[in-house]
Amino acid sequence: MIKIMNIQNSKIIPISQARAKLGNLLDQTKNDQYFLLTRGGKVKAALVDIDYLEKLQEDLSELYGKTYIDPRLLPLTRKFSDEEIAQWLKDDQL
Amino acid sequence: MAKRRSTLAVNSPIGGSAKIFTEKNLGLIVSTLVLTEVERNIRNKLADYHLTRFFLLVDRLIILNHIPNQKQIESAKKVIAEKDAPILASAKLAKSQILLTLDQRHFLIPAVERFIKPAQILTPKMFFAEKDRV
Repeated sequence: MIKIMNIQNSKIIPISQARAKLGNLLDQTKNDQYFLLTRGGKVKAALVDIDYLEKLQEDLSELYGKTYIDPRLLPLTRKFSDEEIAQWLKDDQL
Repeated sequence: MAKRRSTLAVNSPIGGSAKIFTEKNLGLIVSTLVLTEVERNIRNKLADYHLTRFFLLVDRLIILNHIPNQKQIESAKKVIAEKDAPILASAKLAKSQILLTLDQRHFLIPAVERFIKPAQILTPKMFFAEKDRV
């Protein structure tokens, strides 16, 4: 169900249980410590420290705003074909 | 191994290209032209995580802003396909000791090797084979 996250089972809580101890859970959401809330066995939401969430959003924005592409040089570049990329991946194996 | 400077073409997330980045005695250099070409293709062809990895790897490179002029590109066109001439001209300007490439078909030919001398043209695999021999 959760493929990309490495999280302890104790951090995955059904929403029905979370309601009763929301304040306590909030106190524990510091820095990168967060909880995943499930409904019907599926993760529906995450309880995340707002500062951590904002930092993630800033990092993502910085990452995707970043580029090494110099528009003046684009006419001097070319597109790689799928066949070329496949061949290079093969040739790169040691 | 003596410290070497290399122009780098990185197109695969694993394998020899990735291993090059673990070599502590190499000074890895790349041109803005190569970066522009590689990033353009990553954005068009590959997944977001490739772009993330690209940025992480580029942080470890020395970036040269040498841009070949038309005369230098024309000179390169005499030995390589027109589409690869700007990259070859850029590599010559870098004055590196080794030009690393995976494009064997266009770069690993005698005329290109003569053009880029005294630099050597190697694939990552050839580089490690040579290193093992020394």
